[in-house]
Amino acid sequence: MEKISVKVCLGTTCFVMGSANLQELIDIVPAKYGDKVDVSGVPCLGLCATDWEFSKAPYVKVNNEVVKEATVEKVLNEIEKQLGKK
Amino acid sequence: MFIDIDCSQVKKYNQNAFGDYFVSKRYPDEAKLIAVLSDGLGSGIKANILSCMTATMLLRFVENQQIPIRKAAEIVMNSLPVCKVRKISYSTFSIIDVNDEGNAKIIEEGNPEFIWIRDNEVMTPPFETIQSKTFKNRCMKSYKIRLQLGDRLIFCSDGVTQCGLGNGRLKLGLRREGLINLLQAKLQEEPDISSSELSAYIIRQAKNIETDRLPKDDISACVLYFREPRTSLVFTGPPFNQKKDAEYAKIFDEFKGKKAICGGTTANLISRELNRPITMDKEISIGKLPSCSYMDGVDLVTEGILTLTEAWEQLEEGNLDIDNAAGKLIKFLLDSDCINFMVGAKLNQAHYNPALPVEIEIRKNIIKKMAAVLQDKYFKKVSVQYM
Repeated sequence: MEKISVKVCLGTTCFVMGSANLQELIDIVPAKYGDKVDVSGVPCLGLCATDWEFSKAPYVKVNNEVVKEATVEKVLNEIEKQLGKK
Repeated sequence: MFIDIDCSQVKKYNQNAFGDYFVSKRYPDEAKLIAVLSDGLGSGIKANILSCMTATMLLRFVENQQIPIRKAAEIVMNSLPVCKVRKISYSTFSIIDVNDEGNAKIIEEGNPEFIWIRDNEVMTPPFETIQSKTFKNRCMKSYKIRLQLGDRLIFCSDGVTQCGLGNGRLKLGLRREGLINLLQAKLQEEPDISSSELSAYIIRQAKNIETDRLPKDDISACVLYFREPRTSLVFTGPPFNQKKDAEYAKIFDEFKGKKAICGGTTANLISRELNRPITMDKEISIGKLPSCSYMDGVDLVTEGILTLTEAWEQLEEGNLDIDNAAGKLIKFLLDSDCINFMVGAKLNQAHYNPALPVEIEIRKNIIKKMAAVLQDKYFKKVSVQYM
């Protein structure tokens, strides 16, 4: 099975809008899902600049799915959803 | 040639102000630097005012070539008042005006003679003595010297040469000879030591020689070191015209020196144009800032505005040892002599979201402030190019 990749945007906007609080993901995801899911930060997903009129930072990408206004809970739900599909 | 200059000082014990005053300014347009070290008579606030006035007045006279250095020094020498108690002039000074080619004019009045070291040997430059027209006991020495790569000049107040005066081991203090021995031993050990480290070393040694490590006078040491500049480039922000991304990425790639990228979008842009992947730590943040990422051929990759702002604040306050991305950026900047900023002028509309903290600065502003502090407080040569 292919790994699910979770990318947390660490661009300026996302960071101040809440991605700073997503460290928990990096701590709990490997414990929960082992090597099925890979979490890392990325310098910027570039979404705030394209989506700015209704800015929903912070953004997290779970494979190709964008999680807007991401929280730990939302991201975990998305991971569950994608794991369930497979 | 780059002139690495720094000055370290300690106060006389029990005093709350420095009685020696050091001021230095770079003039990037004229490719030169002027520095003045003045020692005010006595100590504490009084000496501080005297030395500060002497040093800043001299600098003002000489800058913009308003008055030739020799004339300016003469004016000061002839007009310094005499202390009623001690019957000597209110302050002493050394002034140096040096350009990037190594042509230096130096004038000293009352301060210990400067030390010129080349290949760890002390040079003895010729000088001209200029007698004061108004005071018989005053004269100054004027030097015109030509410096080479690797040369060092050491200026100090008499607090250095007279430290330890009267204690058992050094009845006459450290003196010039003692200082030269210290310098030669240190330079033998560390031939490439920076001016800030060498000046701090002199001060530390002088303090150690004093009885009970209590300085009996203000102690200052100013070091100039002529060397090849260490250059660096900071690329921050995407270019205004996206069509030019490739062109600027190429300039960045071909730059010879250390390189940093500040900005997530910017890092992606360089990664895309140069086809180099970015990797990140397994950390989201360290000390309230996003953590760094890594790219081949780039020495430092950080987030943009937040990291730059934090680095600027800490540089202003002088807290240089911090464990986060801003700390790494500070180290990167301070380890360079000539810093080039390539600043992308493209705006990110999302930064204008009112929900964001007001601390989110406009990139151009923060770079302007950063350039100012690096130039004025840390004596760096800074150039800023907008793209």
